[in-house]
Amino acid sequence: MRLSSGRTELASAFGVCCFGVVTLLPPFVQYLRRQDHLEETLSPICSVELPTGDEVLLHRRRFEGTGGRHVAIVAGIRGDTPEGVRVLHTVTSILRKVEVLAGRLDLYPCANPLAAHRASRRWPLFDVDLNRLFPGKAGGHPPNQVAHALVENVREAEVVIELRGANPAFREMPQAHTRIGRQRERELAEFANVEFVWERNPGPAAPATFAAQFENVVALEGGAGNRLMPGVGEELAVGVLNMLARLEVISQDDVPRHWAGIHRARHVTDDQVHRVRAERGGFFLPAKPIGEAVSLGEVVGYVVEPTSAETREEIRAPAEGYLLAIREQPLIVPGSMVARLVASS
Amino acid sequence: MKEEDILTLEAPFRGAYRLRRLSFGSGSPKLALVAGMHGNELNGVHALHLLARTLRLQPPQGTVHLLPTVNVFGIDEGRKRGPFGDEDINQAFPGDPAGTAVQRIAHAIIEATDADVCIDVHSGSPAMEELPQVRVPLSGPEVELGRAMGLPLVWRRAGEHLDVTGLVGSWRANGRRALRVVAGRGAVVQPDVALSVANGFLRLMVSMGMSQLGGEGATLADVTLSEVSTHRSSIGGFFVPDVVVGQRVEPGYVLGHVVAAVGGEVLEAVRAKRTGIVSTVRVYPMVHAQELLVRISGVAK
Repeated sequence: MRLSSGRTELASAFGVCCFGVVTLLPPFVQYLRRQDHLEETLSPICSVELPTGDEVLLHRRRFEGTGGRHVAIVAGIRGDTPEGVRVLHTVTSILRKVEVLAGRLDLYPCANPLAAHRASRRWPLFDVDLNRLFPGKAGGHPPNQVAHALVENVREAEVVIELRGANPAFREMPQAHTRIGRQRERELAEFANVEFVWERNPGPAAPATFAAQFENVVALEGGAGNRLMPGVGEELAVGVLNMLARLEVISQDDVPRHWAGIHRARHVTDDQVHRVRAERGGFFLPAKPIGEAVSLGEVVGYVVEPTSAETREEIRAPAEGYLLAIREQPLIVPGSMVARLVASS
Repeated sequence: MKEEDILTLEAPFRGAYRLRRLSFGSGSPKLALVAGMHGNELNGVHALHLLARTLRLQPPQGTVHLLPTVNVFGIDEGRKRGPFGDEDINQAFPGDPAGTAVQRIAHAIIEATDADVCIDVHSGSPAMEELPQVRVPLSGPEVELGRAMGLPLVWRRAGEHLDVTGLVGSWRANGRRALRVVAGRGAVVQPDVALSVANGFLRLMVSMGMSQLGGEGATLADVTLSEVSTHRSSIGGFFVPDVVVGQRVEPGYVLGHVVAAVGGEVLEAVRAKRTGIVSTVRVYPMVHAQELLVRISGVAK
């Protein structure tokens, strides 16, 4: 499939030396399913023209029923997060079996295809983190234009679900993130089939993130970067579908798990989440798996000297609680985070 | 001109890899030129653009095959290796049509360059500027073919540099006359360097009876390894060159200084060991001890 509308003027405006041209595309809709009250379509929202003449399209899959809410689900803003892409595959396969859908559901399965192709976190060549570029710029470089196109397409959604991945250095429990004080986000996230809903204070980089651009956003993450972890994708897919049922976009009967089997989330705030850091550099060896309860002062891992294996530091739990994340990539320097712990109280 | 996809390979998310070939003319003799195997070496890509412009206006007597963007993903992303993962196509020859992705590409390149004379075009690394040069064996018909290009440097090298896992070595193992051209530095395009190389192609075509368009070349040095002196840093630091490629120097001439990265104190003055033409200069300044700074290709006093 090759779409050319509007590209010529932009390409000439950028000249021949630019590294890629992004074109906002007019509607070019493939109808994948049409019934009386439900249709599934696939549309490119923008195209990135590459220096060699190749073209990469960003797609939106839309399920449209009658009435109801408009929900957008976005995955793959970073290229090392295949778990989110898989979650959307699973959600799509379930939605294809749904007979009645109330509202409009937009799925963006991979927002950063060039980085995903490289399995890298950042957009290649420009070496930028797409999740620090929002809301993007219509006249910026290609990553900025893609960020802009994504925001423009998602803007009308009433609820946004962002599927993130864990940092490749860590393994994380499935979790939902909302912003502190956002009651609607918090109430929806309770249905995300995760152990923890973390209400976060915005950090310095928050204004440039995707989630900060919208009113009602729940972000889901878990597992490990660049890998599909057993159980994680399935649990998050159930969580997404359960939230859609809660929003009455689909029926609770469409969720492939009885409501009694859905995890009940525990709410935590920043002051309950401890980032456990090493004071010594070396080789980190975890002593506990994620999800395990630990007591105050219990050893969660060791820093050893990389060649002699001599223990340099015992990393101890700063509070009683549960390990939300543990480092699996062992090379660390003083200050490296090795675990994230949720305090019990 | 005929443009065709020699090989396509599916790639996740970004669309298929395509190995593209442009062909001009027909019949014999045949010349094949390959560039962009390393995605951050772009002077060769532009040299093939310039040659293609000429061949569109005046088709060759014989056939010219151009493969200008072999590592198309690497070119798009500004990186040497690839197109898939971190593999180097130039270590995947002779290739295998049922092997890994880069082995399939390597095999397809060999199949698509069935020609009397084959040239693989590279730049220096992003850290090194190279005088436009053709690298040929110590003896044999390639020596005269290389000299016919009239590039500033002809470097006759022994066979240890021609492993069959590389394209040039693999061409030779297939009985083809193969040359390697290296020009300028990586990560940038240098139009004057690319033009110099493109003119070299035309002169070679004249010598093969394929064209009448080649002008005069100017070879500054024609050397073997024993006539090339390498100048390395004795200490780590920040190298500031005082010479450019193509410059003639005499023994003792100051080629540059290694200075302290913090404070700029001069740690070492690097001086020429022989009379010759500067053929390589480090342009990325951070050096470790014993890293290459300058090469001088010897000429008679």
